[in-house]
Amino acid sequence: MKVTVCIGSSCHLKGSREVVETFRRLIAENDLKGKVELGGTFCLGNCVNGVCVDVDGKTFSVTPETAEEFFSNNIKGKC
Amino acid sequence: MRMLRNELCRDIGYLSINHIGEQLCGDHVDVVEQDNGVVIVLADGLGSGVKANILSTLTGKIISTMLSQGMKIEEAVETIMATLPVCQIRGVAYSTFTIIRIYNNDIAEIYQYDNPRVIMFRAGEKYDYPTTELLIGGKKVLRSDIKLMRDDIIIAFSDGVEHAGVGNHYNFGWTREDIIGYIKPFLAANYTAKTLTTILLEEVERLYDAKPMDDATVCTIKIRDRVPMNLLFGPPQNRDDTKRMMSLFFAKEGKHIVCGGTTSTICANYLGKPLVPSLDFFDPDIPPTATIEGVDLVTEGVITINRVLEYAKNYLEDNKSYEDWSYKQDGASKIARLLFEEATDINFFVGRAINPAHQNPNLPINFSIKMRLVDELTECLEKMGKKVKVVYF
Repeated sequence: MKVTVCIGSSCHLKGSREVVETFRRLIAENDLKGKVELGGTFCLGNCVNGVCVDVDGKTFSVTPETAEEFFSNNIKGKC
Repeated sequence: MRMLRNELCRDIGYLSINHIGEQLCGDHVDVVEQDNGVVIVLADGLGSGVKANILSTLTGKIISTMLSQGMKIEEAVETIMATLPVCQIRGVAYSTFTIIRIYNNDIAEIYQYDNPRVIMFRAGEKYDYPTTELLIGGKKVLRSDIKLMRDDIIIAFSDGVEHAGVGNHYNFGWTREDIIGYIKPFLAANYTAKTLTTILLEEVERLYDAKPMDDATVCTIKIRDRVPMNLLFGPPQNRDDTKRMMSLFFAKEGKHIVCGGTTSTICANYLGKPLVPSLDFFDPDIPPTATIEGVDLVTEGVITINRVLEYAKNYLEDNKSYEDWSYKQDGASKIARLLFEEATDINFFVGRAINPAHQNPNLPINFSIKMRLVDELTECLEKMGKKVKVVYF
C-alpha cells in the first residue's frame, strides 16, 4: 500500500510533519513496515483541505488530530 | 562582492563587540568602494564609550574620504593628527588605525599605525608579508604592498582582541600566535569573511567571560573566485512563459536551486525527470527538500525562503545564526550556504503566478508576501556584497 503525504507549503503549515510522524510511529508499532510505503509529495492541488494524504490514488484530508484515527480506518484496516 | 580585473573578487566582513556597559563602540570600520578598488579603515579610539567612538569615527571617515578622493596617505595622516580633538584627561588626541587599500589590479596596500599587526594567510598558511617603516608627522607607520592571490585572507583587528583573557584565561592576553592558531583550522571550510569574523569575536567574548574590558573589532577580507548561482522561485504568471523561463534558467552557468512545490513539479516535467520528495524533517519548521536529476537543490518555497531571509538579516547583524545554517541539512540552511558562502553572482528567476490555494487569509504565505521576500532577500544579499539580478516572469 502506498501512502503519500503532501509536504507543500500549505499542508506543511497545517501540520504535515505531525501527520508524517504519527504515521511513522503507527507503522512501526503495528509492524507494517513491509506493507506500507510512506512517501512525500509536493502540492496535490487541494491545499484548502490539507493536510492532503493520498492512499493508493485516493486523496484524503487529514489533520494532526485525526491522523491516528485515519490510520486505523484507512491504512491499518486495509493492509 | 565587487569584481577585480582578474576575475577574482573580495568578500569583506567586519563586526565589533563593545566594552562592557557601553552602548557605543570605540572602534570604527569604514569601507569605501571606489571604481578601481576599495579603502577599508579600522580605527580604534582612545578609551571607550562616546569619546572613543567620536575619535575612531572621525579618524575612519577622514582617512577613507581623503584616500578615496585620491589624496596621499601621508596627507591623510597629517590631517588626522592636526584635527582630532585632544582628550582633556590624557592630553593627547589619539586613535590608532589600520588602512587597507585594495586596487583592482590585485594589490593590497596596508598602512598600520599602532593597531595589532594585520594577520595574513596564503594557501591556508600564515603569510609574513614584508613591511617598511615610515615616519609621518613624527609617527611610526608600517607600510606593506602585497600582490594578492586567490584565497588570500587578511584579518585586521583592534587591540581589544589581543587583550581578551588577560588575567583569567591568559596572563598576557590572546597573543597574535594564539589568534593565528585559533582561526587557522576554520580557513579550510567555506566560511565567509563575516563568519570568520564572527568565529574570532565569539572566542574573544568567551575569553573575556562575556564581559569585554575593551572594544574588540575584527575585519576579514577574503580574495576569492567568482561563483555564479541561480535560483528559481515560483511558476510564471503566464503559463505560456514556462518553457522560456525554464530554458533561460537552465542555460545559466552555475548551480541551480529550485524553490516551491508547484515550481519544482513544473521543473521536473520540463526536464523529464522524476521529482522525489524526501520525508526528512531536519528542522521541524522547514518542509523537507526533494531531488530532481539535473537540479542542485529542490526545496519548498515561501516558508523556506522566509527562513533564508531571517538568516540573511541576522548575517548582516551579529551573525549568530551561522551556527545553525552553516551545517544543518534542512532546505533553508542549504540555500543559505549556497547563497551566502558559495555564490558571488546570483540570478533570481521569480515567477509571478498567484497560487489560488495560498490566497487564504489563514495562511501567512500569500502573493504579496512572496514578492516582499524576494525584494528583502535581494537587498540583504547586496549588502553582503553579492551581485544580484532579478528577472520576473
